[in-house]
Amino acid sequence: MHPSYSRWYQHGYPIAVGSILGATLFFLLGRGVLPNGLWALLYLLLVGVVAAVCGVRPALVSAVLAFFAWDFFFLPPVHTLQVSDPRDWLSLTIFLVVGVTIGTLAGRMREREVLAKSRELEAAVLNRLSAHLVSFTSSQAMAQTVLDEVAHLTAAAKAAIFVPDATAELQCLQALPQKPGERVAALAQWAHRYKSAIGLPQSPEREDHHVIPRAISKPYQQVSGGTDRQELYLLLQSSTQLEGVLYIGERADKHPYTPDDAGLLLSIANLVAAFLERQRLQTAAYRSDALVEADRLKSTLISSVSHELKTPLAAVTATVTSMLEDDVEWDVPTMRQELRSIHGDLERLHGNISALLDFARLEADAWHPQCAWYEVGEVLGSALSAFPQSLQQRFLCTLPDDLPLLYVDCLQLARALQHILENALAYSPPEAPIRIGAARVGNYQRIWVDDSGPGIPQQERARVFEKFYRGSSAQQSPSGTGLGLAITAEIIRFHHGTIWVEDVRPRGSRFMITLPLTAQRQEQPDDDISEPDTHSGH
Amino acid sequence: MTILANQTRILVIDDEEQIRRALKSVLSARKYQVLLAQQGQEGLELAAEHTPDLIILDLAMPGMTGLEVCQELRTWFDGPILILSVHGTEADKIAALDLGADDYLTKPFPTGELLARIRALLRRAGSKLAPSPVVHLEGLEINLTQRLVTRDGTPIALTPTEYDILAVLVQNANCVVTTGLLLSRIWGGDAGDDTQSLRAHISHLRKKIEVTPSIPRFLVTEPGVGFRFIVP
Repeated sequence: MHPSYSRWYQHGYPIAVGSILGATLFFLLGRGVLPNGLWALLYLLLVGVVAAVCGVRPALVSAVLAFFAWDFFFLPPVHTLQVSDPRDWLSLTIFLVVGVTIGTLAGRMREREVLAKSRELEAAVLNRLSAHLVSFTSSQAMAQTVLDEVAHLTAAAKAAIFVPDATAELQCLQALPQKPGERVAALAQWAHRYKSAIGLPQSPEREDHHVIPRAISKPYQQVSGGTDRQELYLLLQSSTQLEGVLYIGERADKHPYTPDDAGLLLSIANLVAAFLERQRLQTAAYRSDALVEADRLKSTLISSVSHELKTPLAAVTATVTSMLEDDVEWDVPTMRQELRSIHGDLERLHGNISALLDFARLEADAWHPQCAWYEVGEVLGSALSAFPQSLQQRFLCTLPDDLPLLYVDCLQLARALQHILENALAYSPPEAPIRIGAARVGNYQRIWVDDSGPGIPQQERARVFEKFYRGSSAQQSPSGTGLGLAITAEIIRFHHGTIWVEDVRPRGSRFMITLPLTAQRQEQPDDDISEPDTHSGH
Repeated sequence: MTILANQTRILVIDDEEQIRRALKSVLSARKYQVLLAQQGQEGLELAAEHTPDLIILDLAMPGMTGLEVCQELRTWFDGPILILSVHGTEADKIAALDLGADDYLTKPFPTGELLARIRALLRRAGSKLAPSPVVHLEGLEINLTQRLVTRDGTPIALTPTEYDILAVLVQNANCVVTTGLLLSRIWGGDAGDDTQSLRAHISHLRKKIEVTPSIPRFLVTEPGVGFRFIVP
């Protein structure tokens, strides 16, 4: 119960006794001034007040005390419990009946109100917690909120949540105000091992909760060191297993926990258990998803490797073995033509092996960007130089002269551009130009590549950057590992940039790369190196 | 095997039999005298015995690595060393260049490129005392004796630093020039690693001499290594 509003309620008996004694002393001053019957009415008024503040039982105590006080001090003969006038017997009886009735009725109302308030508070707490629990993604954050709530609710200075690790040893998940000592950890471990809560108050309506069974109370005595503190170790029991232990330390005022407190805390424990269970099941589900995905990736990779490496190899083998056969006389022009096609196949093989190597390095997390200052044109030039001279003529670059320097890994970014250019070549009609542009937009550098291919449908645009994804129009287009654009996207991500595809008119796709410049500004080299004398020869 | 006096001798040190075979066939066809070594120690011995004009050295070898061979060679051999590397070993490549190797090629490489590198390195080695004084490039004329750069007859105004950078690159035409070498040649030993201002100078230089400064074709960047001035 929250201390501030139930303070009066908790100290009912002292208040009952004190108020009757005080009132009697006060009344004695005015004895003889007012008729005896009026004192009786004042006593009844007091009983009503006690009932309204402290509940039924203190009210009954005050009614009985008032009965004797009135008899002893006010009914003649005073200072005895004797009554001289037989009619006073009737008055006394009526006084007692009325006092008890007022006390019972008013007290019961008070108790209902207190109960309603406490239920309301519990409902609010549980409501708040359950709302939190569905939104939390980390166990630590959940534990912190729950512990704060529990501490606020019970005025306990210490609280902690323990959960078992992989070896079933209990570990502290979160604690208030700091990690609890060995004694608490040992008790939590004990509660967990014997599946038994510690410190729960006995209550007739709550017989279903675990209390320490006699048979195994001995080890408990050992771990607790014989001290009997007012602290709770509640089990976090979910539908499938024991998820952990909730420890709540002593209250600041050392008051024991009531069955009502325990009921609320058990409800909280159940919520926490449900959260931990969900978390555990979700992790397991993620893990199995990741395994399935890794398996799928592995098998796709193997089929891709075997297909993309073996196809050009098969073509080369076929051509070369055919040339080695002596059933045909090869003239020099035909031989050159055959050799050119072999060279083409080898180029393709090289491209595929490089893509697979890049992919393997990225997957192994072994390709860290080594950034330095480069001009956009340098990076682009590095990417273009990987293509044979005949293809280079198809690339039309229009770059403004005043582009800022980029702080990038030139080799990586060139690889990224190379994959986009390969893709553009593969999907454009032969001889169609590939346009490359760049511009600075605010704090970003944009680089784009336009092809004149069939374009990419809206719903496929994000997917082209997935590993092994081939677009719906890829069936009739040249083969590839399906890794190029995935590698590009990964490299751009390394550089904190973004990449997307959009349409270009009249026909084709634009691959747009955006790289941030802001993070690099403070290191930007001074571009205006002034030298007083310009050299123009002699 | 008779060694003719006027033939250029090239030593190939590579542990891969296929590469040795391919290089032997490619180089022999171009009338080079080819010596083959399949590991570092053997390569050093052959180099000492025959004093080749150029050495092609593979970096990734079992036993004595290409880097160690390069270091050892540089204690007495001052001819050009061409490094063969594979994609993904940029660090080794740069280390080899720092140890005194002259240029590198990444496997697989087209024959044309290999031959161009060999010719450039041999030309540079043979003309160390008298570098070719005038270079012509699509209307651009670089005259090293007169310290004059013109386009279609019109002088181009270069700052002294820009001219010095250009001169170093042209003297090493078609060969890679590492950033470190460039820094020490321009600003002397205490240049530190002021690569940023070097980058700015290169950028200005490109704007003055390149036909399309945004995509340089003469003064190209070798990512992570340095620069190369390309003269066809």
